[in-house]
Amino acid sequence: MRKLSENILDKISIDFLRNQVLKNAYGNDDTVIAKLDPRILLVWYLFFGLVPWFLNDVVLLLGIFIFVALTTRAARIAPLVLFLFCIGVFSQTGYLFIVALFFGGNTETIVPLLIMTLKVAVVSLASITVFSGLDPDRLANGMLWFGCPGQLSFSISFAYRILPVLMEEFQNILLSYRLRGNPPSKNGLAGKIRYLAYQIRMIIQAFYPLMLNTAKRSRTTVEALELRGYRHSIQNPEVKKMKLAMLKVTRADLIFVCISIVWVCASFGASAAL
Amino acid sequence: MSIIEIRDLTFTYPGASEPTLKNASVVIEKGDFLAIVGNNGCGKSTLCKTLNGLIPHFIVGDMDGDVFIDGMNTKEQEIGTLACRAGYVYQDFENQIVCPTVLEDASYACLNYAMPDYEEKGKKALNVCGLSSKIDDYVWQLSGGQKHLLALAGTAALSPDILILDEPIAQLDPAHADGIYEVLKELNEKYGKTVIVIEHHTDYIVKYCKNVMLLKDGTVQWILPAKEAMRRTEELQGCNIFPPQVAIAAERMLDGGLLPREPFEKKEEILPVDVNEGTRVFAPYLKNKGPAYKQAARQDRPRDPIVDFKNVTVKYRAVKGEPPKVFDDFSLQIGKGEKIALIGSNGAGKSTMMKLMMGLIRPESGQVLLNGRPTAELPKEELGRTISMVYQNPEEMFIKDSIRKDIEYAMKVRRVEDYEKHTDELLEMFRLTDLQDRDGRLLSGGQMRRASLAIGIALQPEILLLDEPTANLDIATRREIMKTLQMLKGVTDTVVIATHDMQLVCDWAERLIVLSSGYVIADGTKEEIFADMYVRQQVGIRPPQIYDMGRALGIENPCFTIDEFMGYFRGEKYA
Amino acid sequence: MNSQNKISQSQKLMVFVLSMSLYGLATLFTELIPSFQVGIVEFSVEYFLFIPLTLAMLFDPLSAGLGAATGELVFSEIMLGQFGGLGELEKFITVTIGVYIAGRLVKNPRNRAVVAGASIFGVFIQQFMGCIVDILKVQFAVEDFEAVAGLPESVFFTEGFACLNDVLFSGILFCMLPTMFLVPKLYGKIEPLLGMKPRDEKTVLGSGGVSAKTVGICVIGFIAAVAAELLATGGFELIDWEASWAESTPAMIVAIIAAAVVALIVIGVVRSRAKVDKAA
Repeated sequence: MRKLSENILDKISIDFLRNQVLKNAYGNDDTVIAKLDPRILLVWYLFFGLVPWFLNDVVLLLGIFIFVALTTRAARIAPLVLFLFCIGVFSQTGYLFIVALFFGGNTETIVPLLIMTLKVAVVSLASITVFSGLDPDRLANGMLWFGCPGQLSFSISFAYRILPVLMEEFQNILLSYRLRGNPPSKNGLAGKIRYLAYQIRMIIQAFYPLMLNTAKRSRTTVEALELRGYRHSIQNPEVKKMKLAMLKVTRADLIFVCISIVWVCASFGASAAL
Repeated sequence: MSIIEIRDLTFTYPGASEPTLKNASVVIEKGDFLAIVGNNGCGKSTLCKTLNGLIPHFIVGDMDGDVFIDGMNTKEQEIGTLACRAGYVYQDFENQIVCPTVLEDASYACLNYAMPDYEEKGKKALNVCGLSSKIDDYVWQLSGGQKHLLALAGTAALSPDILILDEPIAQLDPAHADGIYEVLKELNEKYGKTVIVIEHHTDYIVKYCKNVMLLKDGTVQWILPAKEAMRRTEELQGCNIFPPQVAIAAERMLDGGLLPREPFEKKEEILPVDVNEGTRVFAPYLKNKGPAYKQAARQDRPRDPIVDFKNVTVKYRAVKGEPPKVFDDFSLQIGKGEKIALIGSNGAGKSTMMKLMMGLIRPESGQVLLNGRPTAELPKEELGRTISMVYQNPEEMFIKDSIRKDIEYAMKVRRVEDYEKHTDELLEMFRLTDLQDRDGRLLSGGQMRRASLAIGIALQPEILLLDEPTANLDIATRREIMKTLQMLKGVTDTVVIATHDMQLVCDWAERLIVLSSGYVIADGTKEEIFADMYVRQQVGIRPPQIYDMGRALGIENPCFTIDEFMGYFRGEKYA
Repeated sequence: MNSQNKISQSQKLMVFVLSMSLYGLATLFTELIPSFQVGIVEFSVEYFLFIPLTLAMLFDPLSAGLGAATGELVFSEIMLGQFGGLGELEKFITVTIGVYIAGRLVKNPRNRAVVAGASIFGVFIQQFMGCIVDILKVQFAVEDFEAVAGLPESVFFTEGFACLNDVLFSGILFCMLPTMFLVPKLYGKIEPLLGMKPRDEKTVLGSGGVSAKTVGICVIGFIAAVAAELLATGGFELIDWEASWAESTPAMIVAIIAAAVVALIVIGVVRSRAKVDKAA
């Protein structure tokens, strides 16, 4: 057991995290989902993100759940993201369930909670498919098309650019702490807690150098943005039009929409039949 | 025809007591390839920022005087208009790239200025910069040199008449540095761009630049043709610029009477600046070609290995597809007390090797032994006492808010006795006592390096690893670092330095290990390595100019320093 | 001289970029740090709000707040796919308001007491608004909220408790203490790196402190946040009600078709607006 926990702790290193995030961000740009038109996917998300809230049929929800699970698979999402998804869904409803029991609820509460779980799961998976599965650039353009401010689409694209740089810098600073520091021993429960507290304190302290180093960087970045016409582009509607000109609905998009419709209808059929 | 005209320019940053530029006046001709030289903080970058309108439109401050680009006063123009005329590549070019993929970034500016053919422009610029094969890559997949080319492409895509580059090759190995300059040359000659570089590598100035401008204390001293400028050795050295080695050698030989005074009356006209000129000047006076001294026999007595790589294979976590192998069945021994220079182009595996020694990377198979014990089994605390590493970027070493706290940190948390006294000694040794309460990041480049070295040896490790300790430094600071390295004697015996700086290698290293894509392709003394043309070409090692000069004259033994070179001219004294 | 005292557009953008990248990075980690649960008390690292708080106290508070909110949205929600749709607006707005108010309160960053007070107040505001929104959300989302035995009490209790828990645990440990530690340390050091003057009486925005206008804007923002959240979870309450009235599959089909129609209408509206743009 101890071995196992240590093994897991070992795996969850900054390096692993960095790799997973990068994988999720850049590693799946050749999937079926990534090639779809972002506008279609956003509308698709609008549907699968809203409709489940108003459905109360277990079979129907299950059908839709299977469908979004398949699209998530098609988008080749990094395991870490899926793990986070599981934790999120489980803790949300599991938590409520226990508290409801505590306050005199009964097993009848389980059924609404199961429905609730499925709702949450479908909505989260749909969001993972669209937001993690899409290419950052295409996602930004899709959101721009729907009238999101240009600043947001810039932020998305910039975040994907800066993330590897920041991660590496952060990793190096943490390394300095690790090599020069002297962490407390991990023995026993008290030791474990002390160790964890030490780690968290280290992460917080690491932001002091990181803030200064990033400040140095961001000055160049902002000057370069100005030179490269960032402000110009925000004010000029012509630029927006040019950016959006690359969005095109293809046959693959239509097929994807058709499959979605057919699947949802089939789920309805199944739920009506059962 | 002049493209840039600066008249009586004075600029003061907000909050600064002294102006950075003082009455600077200069005219730059169209189609020039100009190098701006001057010591750190003389206002080179500030001057360049007045050309693209960042000053006065974006950076506030007091500006007097006028700057004209192509006859237009920058004060009256929009920053956008100016940016399309004068492109700027920063020294920290990495922060200038703002898009996740290569093509996007190259065409970013064109898109922002609403040029309908933005993508073609981006592609064309990438083509010129030799990045056409990387068009669909993500930026983080590029090497340092490629990123620099991308920053250049992103600027050149707007097809500005003027291109300004701030220290373009400071962090690059010679092969990549040549690449950048070849691109600049093409842009200058084929496309008629005016190119301005801030540069202190005089070899490159002689080879590529047409003119040189010396800036001192915010004032333009002169603009001269490149070769003529390089002959003004005293003025250059006064500004911490290292003139070409052959020029220095010739000058010292004149002063020492090894060359006759007479034909060299006018030093400004005759001092050699490159190997060709050197051959003409030196050849008639060469006294002997034979060994002036006996080459020290290579000491082959086996040393006790302190680090031992045993059939190490390392893979990186891949973002996509198969994990790439950095090392495959890699074996190497490092002996106690050796001074090793690790050479190889960017991405050859130098930092991976260092990280393996630090136990930061676990090999897929094989093991790394430190004093006979595998690093994977050693606790971090003990490892920190045995081996220490100084990063290339010293800023990442500073984790506290003063250098004193940074130096004492490792000793304090390990409860080393008398750590305060030892810190005082270290501060004294690295001449940091007066700076001890300052934050490391706010120091000058040289002070930062010294502080990072002091942090590195605080625990008196047996092995010290240094990653590019002289990158980005001007010549005075580099000398200072060399001195500091000599001081390490007695504290730390075994030192491994990863570097592109061949001067450092020649002056300091005893053993050279050449890495190329994860393999040791050469391992030996500097004499052996520099003589091996195959290795030199493979990795793009460039020995100091004086070495090539000696070769060109047919001197048998390699010369690594000017003193060695001068030895072959001794004999007759000229008045 | 006026132009030097005012915080210029470029400096605002710098603070925005800084706050966005740093807080964004931090949210990636806080997503991963495990939480301990001792009974009902949860010891989790809710968020590293100290980063934008510190920046807000040293620089322009609004840029820092907006940057942090954007950073969280982009890095943790979009990159990790934890995007919760329109409901994310709630967090976006509350974080911005909390950070903004805390930043406005500090006139002298060297005064640790004020820094500590302002940061905990900022956290409290953010958490309190979040708590109200959460309660309203559950009330809307769960059908027959009152009918499920123990649910209303449990929701009020858990949400209220979570809020208090977060303010006292995360708020003190991960917002107040680090901010107290960082602000005086960074003061005077980080400003020159961005080419600015340190904050003093002259450079602090306007008259400083929190004016009636600021409060008004924040209240409006909060109402927008509530509206967005409710729209996200309960926007189709009408259809839902319709469905429970019919309690049959056809009603659900109607609901689905209605949702699809709404989606199509959204596309139509945006499309036509785009056309107007093109014509203009």
